[in-house]
Amino acid sequence: MSANYSKEKLTLVNELIYQIKVKEAMSKKVIFFKENTTFREIQLKLKEKKISGVPILNNVKNIIGIVSIDDVITAFDKGYVDNKITDYMSRDVITIPQNISVVSAIHKLERFGVGRLPVTESSDSKRIVGVITLSDILNRLLVVVQSIAEKVEDKEIKNTQISHDLIKSISKKPLRFEVRGDDFDNAGRVASITKKYFQNLGISKDIIRRIAIVCYEAEMNICLHSLGGSITIQVNDNNAVIYAHDKGPGIPDVELALKPGFTTASEKIRALGFGAGMGLPNIKHYADKLEIKSSLKTGTELKAIINLGVKNEIK
Amino acid sequence: MKISDLTRVLDAEVLCGEDFLEQEVADFGASDLLSDILAYSKDEYVLLTGLTSSQAVRTAEITGAIAIVFVRGKLPPQEAIGLAKSHHIPLLKTDNLMFASCKKIVEELIKEEKNK
Repeated sequence: MSANYSKEKLTLVNELIYQIKVKEAMSKKVIFFKENTTFREIQLKLKEKKISGVPILNNVKNIIGIVSIDDVITAFDKGYVDNKITDYMSRDVITIPQNISVVSAIHKLERFGVGRLPVTESSDSKRIVGVITLSDILNRLLVVVQSIAEKVEDKEIKNTQISHDLIKSISKKPLRFEVRGDDFDNAGRVASITKKYFQNLGISKDIIRRIAIVCYEAEMNICLHSLGGSITIQVNDNNAVIYAHDKGPGIPDVELALKPGFTTASEKIRALGFGAGMGLPNIKHYADKLEIKSSLKTGTELKAIINLGVKNEIK
Repeated sequence: MKISDLTRVLDAEVLCGEDFLEQEVADFGASDLLSDILAYSKDEYVLLTGLTSSQAVRTAEITGAIAIVFVRGKLPPQEAIGLAKSHHIPLLKTDNLMFASCKKIVEELIKEEKNK
C-alpha cells in the first residue's frame, strides 16, 4: 500500500472532525434498560444486538447508569446474574453532549477506554438522545467526504446542461458570462459550457477543441490576472467570436504579453500549473484572428475569431 | 491500448469512472504544466500529471482528454473527483514516477506494435 497520502486529504479529515457534530454522527436508536432489569435480560439483549453495553435510563430518559459486557461477565462469575442491576451498575457514567464536535467524542472514547458514549441533549442535561461509537464517526466521515465530490459533480452537470432554448437564443443574441477575478472554484466553467454548446451544433471536433481552449485561456486570464470581467460568445454563419472583457488593470505592453514565455504570474498561479507565459500565445495559435486592445485605465478587450468551415491544419 | 490496460501497465488504481475504461487511447500527454497541455495535446488522449487540482481536471476536459493518470501516488481532492465524474473522465492513480510511467507505456506500445 502506498504511504503517500496527500496532504490535502489529511487536512480535509482534520477539518471535518472539528466540523461534524456528535448529533450528526450518532445513532438515534438507543437500546436502553430501566433500573428494574436483571443482568441476564441485559446479557440476552447484548447478544441479540451484538453490542457491548447499554445505558440505564429512568422514566424521563435521564441516564442513571450503564451496564457493560464486563459487568455481565462479573455477574456470572460472582453468581448474581439473575439479580436486579440496581445495586451493581456503575452510576458514574461518561456521556457527551450532542452539540459538540466529534473530535471530543474521539478523545473521550480513547481517554476512558470505552467503546460507546451515551449522548445527552446538552452539557447540563442527563436526557439521552443517542449513542456514539468510533464506527459511527467513521461512517459519517466517509459519507461527508464522499458527498463533497457528489456536490461538485451535481453542480457541474447542472451548470453545463444546454437547453434547446439556449441553442435557439444564441443565434439571436450572444451568450454572455460573468467571470470573477480570483474565483478558482468556477474557473473554466464558461469554457465547459461553451464546449458543450458547440458539440450540440455538430461542428467538427478539432474546431470545438480550438474554441474551447481559446475560451478557457481567455477565461483563465480574467480569473488569474484581472479584477473580473466577462466572456461573450457569438455564433455567426461561418465563424465563432469570443470576446473577453475585463475591468483592469490592463496590459502595459501587449506585444510583450504575446511573446511565448513572458509572464507576470505569481507563485500562487504557478502552483496551479498556470503562468508559463503561454496563455495569449496559445490563443493566438488556435484562433484564426486575434485582436487585443488594452488600456491601463479601462482594462483589456480581447476578440478571437475562429472559422467554423473547413479550416486549415493547426499552425 | 485501452484505458483499462493502463491499470495493468502502471499498476494503477481507478479512483472514478469505472464505466468508461474501455475507450481506445489515441495519444498520451505528460506534463505538470497546464499551459503545455493546452498548447500541445491531441484529442482522445490520456493525460499523465502530478497536478491533482480541479484545474488539472478542467484542463483535461477542455482539451478532450479521455482519462487522467496521477503519477507518484498523488491523490486528487474530492472536488476534482466530482468534476471528473460529471464529465465521465476516469481518474487513475499510480505510485510510479512520471518518467517510469512514460517508460512503461512506451514499452507496452512497442510490444503491441510487434504483436500486430
